[in-house]
Amino acid sequence: MTDRNDQLAFERLLRPHFDRLYRLAYRLCGNRPDAEDLFQEVLIKAFDRTDTLASLDDPGTWLGRVMYNRFVDTTRKRARRRLTTVEEGELAGGGLADLGGNPSAETDAARLESLRTLDLALAKLSEEHRVVVLLHDSEGYKIQEIESLTGIKAGTVKSRLHRARARLKEILTLDGTENGS
Amino acid sequence: MTHSEKTIANDEALISLLRDYPVEEPGADFYDKALARAARASARRQRTRWLLTGFGGAVAAGIVAWMIGGAMLFSPTPVAPEMPGVTIALEAPREVSFVFASAQPLDNATLTIELPDGVELAGFPGKRAISWETSLDAGKNHLPLTLIATRATDGIVVARLEHDTRSKTFRLRVTTKQPDQWNGTPQGA
Repeated sequence: MTDRNDQLAFERLLRPHFDRLYRLAYRLCGNRPDAEDLFQEVLIKAFDRTDTLASLDDPGTWLGRVMYNRFVDTTRKRARRRLTTVEEGELAGGGLADLGGNPSAETDAARLESLRTLDLALAKLSEEHRVVVLLHDSEGYKIQEIESLTGIKAGTVKSRLHRARARLKEILTLDGTENGS
Repeated sequence: MTHSEKTIANDEALISLLRDYPVEEPGADFYDKALARAARASARRQRTRWLLTGFGGAVAAGIVAWMIGGAMLFSPTPVAPEMPGVTIALEAPREVSFVFASAQPLDNATLTIELPDGVELAGFPGKRAISWETSLDAGKNHLPLTLIATRATDGIVVARLEHDTRSKTFRLRVTTKQPDQWNGTPQGA
């Protein structure tokens, strides 16, 4: 059985990165169950690498890269095996109802409506565009960080970001007109 | 002009909206549970490596027939018959075959397997729900699943087949013996 000290060392090393890592998983997967599964897989993979992680200046980057690669592998596998997750097809923004912070209920409702529309628009983006725009604009990752995480060259990341925003605006405008909302 | 159109009139407005795009929080105690699962998985790998290398093939256990298609999907859920079940040894992969009998070919059906805590599907460590898009032929369709009990449990594996607006749920009780040695209290829980 794994020594409890190993688990403690692992936890001490990794726990400070949990929130950011989970958010990355959620941005990649778009829903909580898949994000939790991806997070879990990375944790299982990382557990046997505690020594390696301890020697790194920034274990978070290593973890993020492992997570991204795992996500890509899983996505490819799913495409091959037509494997999907239970919640696939549901809207990604599961926490939309929890939106708060605006004093005006009317403003709140309008903002919520916009976020729901954004949710649908994001679902229409290609995965490579969706991931880049969410990491950069929602999570605040820098271009170089995305490059380091995904292995995609900075120039390509910038180009995808630009195209993703343009596509989002296009979809949102179209949807707004079509829905008449 | 709609609210959406006003909102995304420029990049700044779009980025502002994206910044507010929420992340659903993980479940309660998820981090603690994930840590405990990672530790258990590591321990299990060490303990069962020998077992897996010598594992020549799982023994097919509970063969269960499930009729689907036509009237059965629409019929109200009958009074629950006695739930089929299997008893599996801790850490020993065990193949369970489900047989789905369909009256007609079904395309684009979704088959979902939900696992109880303490039971995993081989090849999918840590996963609690797995779903396939699949097609069923007319007649019997075999689905072998290799289950691994990671700790003592008495839980239910749920298999749900959905097609269009219809669905059918099947449950299989999975029981393991209480292990002689286990002290798997999740850390920090």
